[in-house]
Parts: sequence; C-alpha cells; structure tokens
Amino acid sequence: MRRYLDFIGNIGLFALRAARRVLVPPFEIQMILRQIEVAGWKSLPLVLSSGFALGLVLAFHTRTTLVQFGAQAVMPTVQSLAFFNEIGPLLAGLLMAGRVGAGIGAELANMRATEQIDAIEVLSVDSFKMLVIPRIVACSVALPILTVFMDAMGLVGGYLAELTASHLSVQLYLSRAFYNVSWASFIPPTLKTVVFGAVIGVISSYLGYTTDEGADGVGRAATNSVVVSSLAIILIDVVLVKAIFFLFPETAI
Amino acid sequence: MNGGNPAAIAFREVSRSFGGRTVLNGISFEIAPGEAFCLIGRSGMGKSVTLKLTIGLIQPDAGAICVGNENIVGMDEDGLSKVRSRIGFLFQSAALFDSLSLHDNLALPLRRLREKKPEEEIEAIVQKNLDDVGLGKDGRKMPAELSGGMRKRAGLARALMLGPSILLVDEPVSGLDRVTASEIDDLLLRVRKRDNTTMVIVTHDTREARRVGDRVGVLDDGNLIAIGAMGELEKNESALVRALVSEAE
Repeated sequence: MRRYLDFIGNIGLFALRAARRVLVPPFEIQMILRQIEVAGWKSLPLVLSSGFALGLVLAFHTRTTLVQFGAQAVMPTVQSLAFFNEIGPLLAGLLMAGRVGAGIGAELANMRATEQIDAIEVLSVDSFKMLVIPRIVACSVALPILTVFMDAMGLVGGYLAELTASHLSVQLYLSRAFYNVSWASFIPPTLKTVVFGAVIGVISSYLGYTTDEGADGVGRAATNSVVVSSLAIILIDVVLVKAIFFLFPETAI
Repeated sequence: MNGGNPAAIAFREVSRSFGGRTVLNGISFEIAPGEAFCLIGRSGMGKSVTLKLTIGLIQPDAGAICVGNENIVGMDEDGLSKVRSRIGFLFQSAALFDSLSLHDNLALPLRRLREKKPEEEIEAIVQKNLDDVGLGKDGRKMPAELSGGMRKRAGLARALMLGPSILLVDEPVSGLDRVTASEIDDLLLRVRKRDNTTMVIVTHDTREARRVGDRVGVLDDGNLIAIGAMGELEKNESALVRALVSEAE
C-alpha cells in the first residue's frame, strides 16, 4: 500500500515540477511542435479509423434497441451525444495512452538506459525541460484535436449505418444529430481531454524519465505507461464528469 | 599542489553507496591542471561512478568534490550547469541522441547556450569539430548508421563542442579493435597537446593508460589502493595492482 502511495506522491511531485517549469523560458517551441506531430498527426489514422468503426457499431446496436420502442428517429441525437459527451473523449484518451503513452515511456526509458539523458545534462542542458515538458504539452494540445476528429468520424460511421438501414439523407441526419446538442454538451467534454493529455504525458514521462532498471526498464516503462495512464484517465473521467455536471447542470438532464 | 594553484579536480574523503553496497569508501586524490589521469580497476569497482561524481550526475554520501575552486557537492542546478560547461564527457556508449543527426548532436550544446550564437558560426564550429575527428563528411548520418569507432569519435567531438578545460572519458576504447583504439588514443593525445586539457580516463586497457596517462589510480573494493606513474605501479607491493597494470600486455 505504501509503495502505491509513494508512487502516486512521486507522480504528483513530478507533475508539480512540470507545472512550474512549463512557464520558464526557453519554451522549447520546436520540440513541442515535433512532439505534437508524433502525438497528434501520427495518431490521426488510428483515431479516424477507430472513430468510424465505433460509430458504425454503436449505431447498429442503438438502432436495434430504439426500433423496439419506435424511437429510431432519435438515433442521430443519441449517436452525437454519446460521442460528444463520453465515447469520443474517453476513447481518444485511451488510444493516445496506448499509442503515445507507450512510446513516451519506452523512448525516455531507453534514453535513460543508454545514458542519453545524462549526456544532455552534462552538456549543461536541462533534460527535464527539453524532454519532458514538450511531451506533456504536446499530449495536452493534441488530444482535444484528436477528440474532435474522433467525434466527427463517429457521426460519419453512424450516418453510414443509418443510411443502409433507413436511407436517411445527410441533411436530416445532421439536423437530428445536432438537435438538442448545446455547446455545453460539446465544449466541456472535449476540453476535459486537455487534462487526459496532461495525465498521459506526466505519467508516461515519469515512468520513462525516472527508470533506473537499464534495458529491462524500457519494456516495463512502456507497459506501465499504458496501464497506469489508462486507469488514471478512467478514474479522473469520473471526477471530471461530475465536475461538468456541477458547472453545466443542463448537460446532466 | 601545482605551486599553490588549485587542483583541476580534487576528491576529499568521498564515499558513495548504492543499496547498502559501498562503491567508494572515502577516496581522496587530486588532479593537476593539464594532467591526464587514468583510473583502472576491476569491473564494478566505482570507476564510472567517480566520473559521474566529478560532473555532478551523482551526489556523494560524504566528502567534498572540487572542480577548480568550487565544491560541487550540494550545488544547485544553475551552479552545476556553469561547472559542467567547463567539462566534456565522453560516455562509454558515446550516448549520441538517436533522434538527431550527427551534425545536430554536435550543434545541440551550442544552440542551447544562453548567449545565442548565429547559425553560421555554429555550422562552422560543428564542421571543424567533425573534421578534427575525421567525420567531416558524415554530419548528415544518424547515430544508428555509425560504426562503434565512429560513434566514439562523434562522442568525443560533441564532448569538445564547448571547449572544455576538463575532459572525462569513460572507457574510450572498450569494444574496439587495436587499430581503431589507437586512433581514439591519438585523438585524445592531440586534444591534450592542443588545448592542454585536463583528462580523467577510465579504462581497462593498460596500453592506453601507459600511452595517454601521466598518472594512474587503481580502484579496488571502494578504495584507491595505488596511485602513481605506470612504472611505479609495476613495482607496487600489491599483487593485484601489478596484475592490473601488467594485464593484456
């Protein structure tokens, strides 16, 4: 138990260190842009295909149930609310934890094992600022954008499923999809992924940057980055959903 | 030492343990400016730890470590950064950054200086350092494309980018054939002759210690059991010291 508490405490201190250093120059713009490319642009195919497939599957299942109650007309609305509120943000976060979190953990652990981080330090360069901050910022910036793409592809998948079943027009599908959808149903859930991104960046960077297990630590850091980040996202999601309900009561109805 | 001038590096009663195992047990020694000092000893006896202590990558449990006039024990990151700017470090694996080309590996420390240098000047310094180690045409290559000897030479070129007055070298010829190892030693000798650089070289190769080092220290079981010129150590009363300095001859 104490080991887990130590672990959580150390991640908290690591996050605080990052929060303090992110505002201090140099701002590592080049490194941040490079990491956004890695975390965002290179994750896009995975997010688009996953969003599309999940949109299709969700529509198939939802339609079957709604038809039983004669409520198939609300299918587009259900689809959009499901994606905007939860599926898009959570799934994008989990995909990023799997793809990017593992990459960050393994890359930094490898740099530690091969003394590359020590080499940065002996060159009078702040390795934390150069390696950790850009990855956390990149995850925080890229994930909300990926979430928007995930939401959009979920709607595309849902439309295709609906088209095959009822030949619904695009215009009618979209007007029903956005009926009853307010900005409060879209913006806060999308912005909560900024927190998800930061969590993935902090946990993965911590596990990679602080490993002292040599080559053995590389695989372990990658695996633990995915497991711990995914678990943290799901737990934090519970808190953030309640916070959104509290701040935007209309979304809870 | 050295007519009242401070030693380039001084260890005073330095101890360091890892997980209950004492790696260094109160060792003391001084290295004069411009001297080449080799550390030899069996594997796991704290030679590389001594180098990392010298540059503040590891802090000792007890004792003082002075670089010039400054005790770096307990020094803050800003202070360490200033001290490190006077020290070059060639890692055993060269520790080149995998994601950067050889050229960018060398340019990195210059691009990170507080007083920014124009890119043309950085370009010229990088090219000169690459030429110096015989890699003038390889700047665009990635570290994965380099052989072991080329990596060591590239690591040396990067260690020299900020014009250090002290060079720490961790097993520069391990894993290299005799010819390539000799080339690396030639480079170290040339750098020393040109810049009067103080060097601390960890090595298992007694041929290298004899060729490059002025003095040799022998570490064993956490203690510096002998220190002196190679000729003196060959006559040391300890059989271990004699075995280590005569090994592979």
